[in-house]
This record gives sequence, structure tokens and C-alpha cells, in this order.
Amino acid sequence: MFPRLIMESFLRQRRRKLLAALAILLGTTAVTAMLAIGTSVGDKMNRELAAYGANIVVYPAADTLDVQEDGINIRPATAGSYLKEADLVKIKNIFWRNNITDISPELPLTVTVRTANATQQVPATGYWFHRTLRSGDESWTMGAPALHPWWKLHGSWPSDTGNAIPNEIAVGSDLARQLHLHLGDPLEVQNQSVRVAGIVSTGDATDRTLLVPLALAQAWMGRPGVVRRVYVSALTKPEDALARKDPNKLSPKMHDRWYCSPYANSIAYQIEETLPHTRAEQIRRIAQGESTVLSRISGLMLLVALAALLAAALAVAASMTTAIVERRQEIGLMRALGATRNTIAGLFFTEITLLALGGGLLGYLLGSLLAGRIGEQVFGSSIAFNPMLLPATLLLAVVVSLAGSAPSVWQAMKMEPATILREDA
Amino acid sequence: MSVAATRPETIIELRDATREYRGHAGTVRALDSISLSVSRGEWLAIMGPSGSGKSTLVNLLGCLDRVDAGSVRIAGKDINTLSRKELDQFRAETVGFIFQQFHLIPYLSALENIMLAQYFHSMTDRKEAMAALERVGLGDRAGHLPSELSGGEQQRVCIARALINQPPVLLADEPTGNLDAANQQIVTGLLRSLNQLGHTILMVTHDPEMAQMADRIVELHHGRIVAEREVSLAPHTS
Ligand SMILES: Nc1ncnc2c1ncn2[C@@H]1O[C@H](COP(=O)(O)OP(=O)(O)O)[C@@H](O)[C@H]1O
Ligand SMILES: [Mg+2]
Repeated sequence: MFPRLIMESFLRQRRRKLLAALAILLGTTAVTAMLAIGTSVGDKMNRELAAYGANIVVYPAADTLDVQEDGINIRPATAGSYLKEADLVKIKNIFWRNNITDISPELPLTVTVRTANATQQVPATGYWFHRTLRSGDESWTMGAPALHPWWKLHGSWPSDTGNAIPNEIAVGSDLARQLHLHLGDPLEVQNQSVRVAGIVSTGDATDRTLLVPLALAQAWMGRPGVVRRVYVSALTKPEDALARKDPNKLSPKMHDRWYCSPYANSIAYQIEETLPHTRAEQIRRIAQGESTVLSRISGLMLLVALAALLAAALAVAASMTTAIVERRQEIGLMRALGATRNTIAGLFFTEITLLALGGGLLGYLLGSLLAGRIGEQVFGSSIAFNPMLLPATLLLAVVVSLAGSAPSVWQAMKMEPATILREDA
Repeated sequence: MSVAATRPETIIELRDATREYRGHAGTVRALDSISLSVSRGEWLAIMGPSGSGKSTLVNLLGCLDRVDAGSVRIAGKDINTLSRKELDQFRAETVGFIFQQFHLIPYLSALENIMLAQYFHSMTDRKEAMAALERVGLGDRAGHLPSELSGGEQQRVCIARALINQPPVLLADEPTGNLDAANQQIVTGLLRSLNQLGHTILMVTHDPEMAQMADRIVELHHGRIVAEREVSLAPHTS
């Protein structure tokens, strides 16, 4: 009988129920999308945002000293002004190693290029493209492309294993046009034959350079194993009061707290610790922007989701209030026939729960699709269906619906059969 | 079915029952110190002008409401001592309601309406519900919705529902008030045969002719019993 009552009751006041279900659906859609994006993209988004530029630059400590004598820079050009490529893996050993998403060394130089119809001096930079770093059992792929996700590449990145001396290079789009270079073309750089593997368009001065494997640049310079500077991309905590403190003036306890917070500053500090004779500096504006944007976006999504849930609760409340007023004769009759207050509450709550589960399930599906779309459109990454979110979403839908309907169901419970049947005798 | 007792046994006893309604316009004393007892198997008619307290009395007798002062005993139980939950259960077991407006659930079939009373009482029994429907002559209308039944048929479903849990007391609130003459006849006939089977019937009516069917008539006025008389054993037309 109970299922029969629920079913029939379900078919009553269909339009109002549909409205309530729709509200639940919208609420859970927003929540699912938010959670899906929050959990799956949160990390990705952070990475994407972080990728809009390095947030720490590392260079030799000697560079910061302006050693000048009689107006002439006498800083030794050889000693101390390079970093060791082999040391870079140590950056992945610092306290916040898991927050380091990319390490991109650079070695700029000027090279002589000979093509079929011209010989010319052009700027070149040695990079890692897809270099695999290993430490213990772990390995990561790092390099310039990951640091600059907006770079557009035709063809492929030069092969860059770090072992053999490579013979592939990439050419900035402006330079390629100037030199009439196309994909696959051979050319001679520093008297070595190489092949154009890719043409890169970056939107900045890099478009007028050669992008070459680091090993090649080192070979051309005659300085194996060196790099000029390193850009490091790290997931950081937004800057707060503590972050802006001078770590050397903090009490030991506060220093520990500072050290153990993933501020760009403290990560830079840890890089300096691990790579002696280097300076690591936060590239401020961008690093801060990332964190702010990220926290603003999640705050906004949370707000939207909360508003949607509140709207759902209100819609359910409104629908239940009218439903119960319209059915008060029926409730009175059931009470007269022996139904207890709890039976009545059970009837309505079961119905609401079913409604919530239905709306919540659809909301979950729709929200997951929405999250997928947003992931593609906004963050350029796909978001897979996360089945873990289903129980959470359903629970939320049920809780919100029960909370929304509780006042009116309480009213229904309180109705006394005598007053309901009163108009009768 | 309960069997008529050989010795009249009191099934309902009201002592100085008072019920007041408090509203913003002041307090209305709907029942004023009423004392009344009903024997098992008796058929009591309650009469009186509108507003005299008939509904209030029926609500008390039907365990739908409680007194503000005095006591109500039904089948040996003092209603005041029962918790709300116990009262719900007691009502389901003790009282069958027959309403002027029938109060059938519109989306349930005739048979399901009867089964609903079984459900709230204990558990449903389709066969028994069907038998009850046959007893009121509606065996062939089991699957019909209330809207597909005439007023008289609806009232017969209502009677079948009131009887389904074999309550010792039947409460009929203007049972024929909404019926035409022919259906009134059928319903009256049903009530009479139920009374002959031993059911105690408490019936509110405006119709003097209908009241003559009862064993006793009490008349209310301003919440008090102003007249009470036994009906002479005039031969029932049947
Ligand atoms: N729930 C209520 N609230 C306030 N006053 C009520 C209520 N029920 C009945 N009354 C008042 O109590 C008196 C008796 O009403 P009622 O028992 O319905 O009389 P009857 O059924 O004989 O017409 C009337 O004056 C009526 O207005
Ligand atoms: Mg009345």
C-alpha cells in the first residue's frame, strides 16, 4: 500500500513537483559542476594558471654583483655565471618538491646560420623540450613547452634525449619566414648540419630566434653541462602577511611556519638552499595573479552552487507547502483511519527523497557534462565523469530537499484530524 | 463482527465532558459539561441545530479530539490517559467513520480505499477488502475511482471502509445528508442491518425520519443535552 500511495501521490500535482525537481536538478547541476571542476580541474587549473609563466627565476649569484672597475665590467665571464644542468634535478628534492610543476633551463647564445641563400648571425637559445628527470623511483617530463603552453608549434619539438648530440632544431616563426625555412628543411648552424623539426610561434621576441636542444647549445658554446638561467613553475599559496616578511628576521617558530608554507618566496628560498651560489627570485606579478584568480574562481563557483542549492530548498519548500495545504483533507482522513503523525511524515519525506534522488541523479549527469564543457572551453582540459561525486551529490540533494520541506511536513504532522474534518458535520 | 451482548454493557461514557475553542474572538464552549453513556449495540441519534456542538461531540467520541474537562471512556479506556500515538492506534481499532462527504481518496480505487484503512490499522488483505465491498453490493465496482461512482455508491464504499477493521463503534456524521431518497434508503438499510449485527452506531442527523431508526435520540443545544428520549419500538419499514 505504501508504494502505491507514494506512486499515486507522486503523480499528483505533477507540475509543481516537476518544478521542485527542476530546482533540485539545477542546484545539483551547479554543485556537481563545481565539485567536478574543483576536484579535477582545481589541480589542473592551478597548473594551467601557473603555466602562464614561470613564477621563479633562478640565476647564478655572480650575476647580481655588479663588479665594475673604472666603468668596465670585470665580472669574470666564465666563472660563476652559469648553473650546472646536472644540479637542476635537485630542485625536485626541496621540501615543496611536489608543488614544482616545471623546470625550464635556458642557455642563450648567438650562432651563425647558413642556409641555401644566406649566411647570418642569429640569436639562439638552448632549452629542454621534453626532458625526463629522475630522482629515486620518480620521473617527470619538463621543459620549455610546458612552461609556455601558449606557444604554437607546427611540426614537432626537436628530439632531446639529453644523451646523444641532437641534430634537430625549432625555428621561431618570424625567423623562419625571413630565412625561408620550412618544416624538414636542412640548414647549417655553426658549421653543423641540422634539420627544422618545428616552427614555433610565441608572440614575443622568441619568434626571431632558434630554439635548440640544450645539449646542442652547450656544444656550440663549448661549455658542456651549463645553463644560463632556469625558470621554475610552482604551485604557490597566495601571498599573505607572513609571506611578505623577511625570513631572516622571523622568530625560529615563525620561520618554520614560513618555510613550511608554499609561498613563492619560501620555495625560492629552498631552491637557493639546495643550489649553492644561486639566486632564486619570485617573478612577482604573475605568481600573485595566479593564486588570486584561482581563489576568485573557486569562490565564485562556491557562491553560485550555494545560491542554486538555496533556490532548490526554497522551491521544494514552496511546492510542499501548497501540496500539503491542498491535501489537508486527505491527511485528516488518513489520521482518522489510524495513520500516525510519523506515517504522514514518512509519506511526504519518502516522496521528497525520491524526488531529490531523481533530480539529483539528473543533476549529477548534467553537472558532469557541464563540467566537461567548462573544462574544455575554459581550461582546455577534459574532465572525466567522477563517480565519487554521485553519492555526495545525491546526499546533498536529499538533505537540501528534506530541509526545505521540513517546515511544511511539520505542519502536516501537526494537523489534527478533528479540525480537518470539521467542515463536514 | 461483534456479537450483540445479552446484557447491555456500557461502551461509551462521557462524564462532564467540556470542550472549548479559544479564538481571537474569545472562548466558545462548544460542549458544556455533557454526560452521556451508550450501551454496546445501541443506535444513538444526535440532533440539534447548527452550531449546537454535534461535530464537537462526534470528534470526541471518534477519538479525533480530547476534552478540556471531564472524561471520555470508550470500550473501557479513559481517552485522556492515552498518548497521542496510542490514541491513533486506539482510534483505528475502535471507531469506524462514515462521513457526510464520504472522504474517499480520489486517486485510489474503491477497493484500494478500503485497503487503506486496513493498511493504517495493521496490514492489507485484498480478499477481505473485496468481501467488504461485496457486502455493500459493490463487488463489481472494485476497480472504479470514487469519481466514477454515484454519491450513494461512494457512501457504501465509505461504510465498507468503516467496517473493514471490525470496530465496535460506528460513527456516522450525517451519513445521508448528501444522498437522494433512493440512496438514502440503501444506506439506511445498511446501517440497520449493521446495528442488528451488533454494531454500536452513533449518528448525527438533521432528518427526524432518519433519527427514528435509532434506539435513542439526544438533542443538543448550545453545547448541552436539552432532550433525550428512547424511540418507541415502532415497526421499521423494510
Ligand atoms: N475548531 C474550532 N475553532 C473554533 N470554534 C469552533 C471550532 N469548532 C467548532 N467551533 C464552534 O463550536 C461550536 C459548536 O460547533 P460544532 O460542534 O461544529 O456544531 P455543529 O456540528 O452542531 O454545527 C460552534 O459555535 C462553532 O463555531
Ligand atoms: Mg457542525
